Amino acid sequence: MRWNAFDTPVHDSQRVYRQLLSAMAEPGTFAQVSGAPLAPPGAAIGTACWATLLTLCDLDTRVWVSPELNAAGLGEALTFHTGARQTDRPEEADFALVIPATLEGSAECEAPAFQEGSDTYPDRSTTLLVVLDCLDAAGPWTLSGPGIPGRRRLDVGQGGEALMMRLAANRARFPRGLDAILTCGTRLAAVPRSTRIIRSASEEVDVCMSP
Amino acid sequence: MTASDPTASGYNFAYLDEQTKRMIRRGLLKAVAIPGYQVPFGGREMPMPYGWGTGGMQLTASVLGQDDVLKVIDQGADDTTNAVSIRAFFERVAGVTTTTATGEADVIQTRHRIPEQPLRQGQLLIFQVPIPEPLRFIEPSEEETRLMHALEEYGVMHVKLYEDIARHGHIATTYAYPVKVDGRYVTDPSPIPKFDNPKLHMNEALMLFGAGREKRLYAIPPYTRVESLDFEDHPFEVQEWDDPCAICGARDTFLDEVITDDRGGRMFVCSDTDYCQSRTEEVA
Repeated sequence: MRWNAFDTPVHDSQRVYRQLLSAMAEPGTFAQVSGAPLAPPGAAIGTACWATLLTLCDLDTRVWVSPELNAAGLGEALTFHTGARQTDRPEEADFALVIPATLEGSAECEAPAFQEGSDTYPDRSTTLLVVLDCLDAAGPWTLSGPGIPGRRRLDVGQGGEALMMRLAANRARFPRGLDAILTCGTRLAAVPRSTRIIRSASEEVDVCMSP
Repeated sequence: MTASDPTASGYNFAYLDEQTKRMIRRGLLKAVAIPGYQVPFGGREMPMPYGWGTGGMQLTASVLGQDDVLKVIDQGADDTTNAVSIRAFFERVAGVTTTTATGEADVIQTRHRIPEQPLRQGQLLIFQVPIPEPLRFIEPSEEETRLMHALEEYGVMHVKLYEDIARHGHIATTYAYPVKVDGRYVTDPSPIPKFDNPKLHMNEALMLFGAGREKRLYAIPPYTRVESLDFEDHPFEVQEWDDPCAICGARDTFLDEVITDDRGGRMFVCSDTDYCQSRTEEVA
């Protein structure tokens, strides 16, 4: 089995990092991760997500992988290429690989309690790496705050409710909170904890404006 | 090393090893997510002493790419010792193109100034910071200042500014003038003149701050509210000069006083050399 990684790790990871940095600095803008390696076979993640893992993870980081995404090839490839340790305790994860449904929880098990950091060290928190089926502008979620001139719209597809409500809850606990890197195929965006999120009532406005 | 290929061999691209870059990169993402909050990082020893911009250099080394065009300024000038040596350093260890033109640069490392020409979206401005903690001169304990930030306990900062007014009749702080970022964290804008403080507000560029000795990094994202602390009856004001720049005639720039002889002769010139030069060329 072949686990793909960057052809030139130094320059490729730098390029992806700058896309991540811009995405985090300007929430609701999108980057196209081109020329990135394909994700390990069997792993239900796109190239943008795999490139992000390769860029940010190393032996200092612990990664929590949601059961829905946990494939044998993924864990092994991640360990092989980055040395990152996998953890099954969400509260000690530096990165959590999730799908929106992961944050919903269910009757028998609660949604995983990721690390939000403390008021004195809010940076010691989990960054969510979200795998989405749809990532677009002009959706029902309106973003404002640092990095956003005025407002931006975001669509994370069906079932994104739990994810966006969780991220919207960040505001009340600021500076503690979760930051999210959203990925869909080769596309990525980010929603840091500083972003104010509201669900727009006027969804029909978008329908009218679409050609 | 030959004249045609001045890039030093034996170093990783941009000097720092990849592990260190990743650590700084992760820290920067958190810094951007919590605007104005100081993220501790494992500062590395750089081939120059602390106080020469090692914090800014580590940030630059972590974000710089081979296609980036780099500009380095020291107090606004491209041709002063600090700027020249840091620029030469990255030419050698990263082989990047450098420029003195603000508009052409992708990454600008700066010591104590924000360029006069407005920055654009996508540009990165990286500040060298000596003391990142704005409360440090009031409270020497790191544990205490960290708690003050956590509790948003910033009353003493206003007391300090008030003491200025009581003593001098106006706020006498002229550089490293404290700001509040996005209504939450009181942050040190690095020792830029307060003249530059308004440029921090809603700037289009991402601003990153690195303190090498203190091992802290922080960020102000683009389009972010940045207020300079003040009082209703003593609003924040920037410096003004009676004379225009002696070289380009600009009246809206930050001016340096230059002593020209030993009989009290002096002139005022733009501190931003690139801006001054481009204005001079326009007139000519």
